[in-house]
Amino acid sequence: MDPVALKTRSRLVGERQSRNGNYLSKALLCRLTPKRALLANSYEQTSDLELARQARAEDESAFAEIVRRYSPRVFHVAHRFFRDRGQAEEAAQETFLKAFAQLKSFEGRGSMEGWLTRIATNTCLNMLRSASRRPELVSPDLTEDETAWLEKVSDTSERLDAEQKVIAADLAERLLQTLAAEDRLALMMIDGEGASVNEVAEATGWSESKVKVRAFRARKKAREALEKLLGKKYQA
Amino acid sequence: MPERHITEILDNTPFIALTQSELSAIREHTSSCIECTNAFQAAQISAVLLKERISEASVSAANANPFFQTRLLAAWREQQEASAWSFRRLWNATGAIVASMAATTAALAVLTFVVPATDTNDQQTAAVVPYSAETVVLDQDQDDNQFTNDQVIKAIYVDDDEDK
Repeated sequence: MDPVALKTRSRLVGERQSRNGNYLSKALLCRLTPKRALLANSYEQTSDLELARQARAEDESAFAEIVRRYSPRVFHVAHRFFRDRGQAEEAAQETFLKAFAQLKSFEGRGSMEGWLTRIATNTCLNMLRSASRRPELVSPDLTEDETAWLEKVSDTSERLDAEQKVIAADLAERLLQTLAAEDRLALMMIDGEGASVNEVAEATGWSESKVKVRAFRARKKAREALEKLLGKKYQA
Repeated sequence: MPERHITEILDNTPFIALTQSELSAIREHTSSCIECTNAFQAAQISAVLLKERISEASVSAANANPFFQTRLLAAWREQQEASAWSFRRLWNATGAIVASMAATTAALAVLTFVVPATDTNDQQTAAVVPYSAETVVLDQDQDDNQFTNDQVIKAIYVDDDEDK
């Protein structure tokens, strides 16, 4: 056979094989990968607005992509309110289901993250309002560990070990439970996370003056509650 | 400053955001005021507690349940099905009543608008139909009530006129 013809033939055969190989690998991928996973991956590059439009049309994969993108943010908000994992999950679930029901109101003017943050915050506030709260944190309510922690913690510059951190988080939660849901949110965001008044106002939909009043009230109440506990310690 | 308590500063500003000048003013005041020393320590502890609570929340948020999305999508599907099912259930319960009401309304409409129009046509036709004098006088028709007096008189006189 003519060497040129032979070369051309081998090149064509090679191309066909590689093309077939590609088809085969794609076919195999389709068979092995669940259809939904493939669809979900196809939404990775889609804009939030387009995802919202498709999810409104009851496209499950689009909704799944929204959940995948923003569940870390929603969980962050939920854990700010709830220490219990189950409650935080419940709040996150309710947030996404509410968001789906309100997708019509998302017009893409603001970010979807901000929109979901506000829904999550309001959902958590409502859940917290319905939960019973303790009227006051008093000395006999404290566990031995908590009392010991308060006695040792006078020097706050000392680094806390893992166990002390857990006790501190426990005590913080008990202190926060004595506050109204709105006060608690303002205190956690401004004093705990270092958020600005404007950021809290955006996340909640409150006015800036309301945020300031809530934070002031929460700070005062928390300080006074701790002062009482410390007063008992000094008396002892 | 020594005359004025520091609680106002502590309640108005987050502890972590206190400036150096505020902190030095607070220290100066607390050296001579036991009440404010307690308040300052309480604010300090409050800040530590919040910091620990926030860092715990961040760790928990990062370690969210990996099956959350699966659970959420199952709940979403259930919700979708429930809304469709509730409409079907409502229709099953009320469908028969709604259908019978619609049929009754249609029947009433027919009786109200279509049937009276048909009767009028019949009456007009009856008025035009010529009756012979024999039929009327000898009462050959079974249904007397169909003829009015005018019709009877007209039929008799028409026959008389024809004889003349």
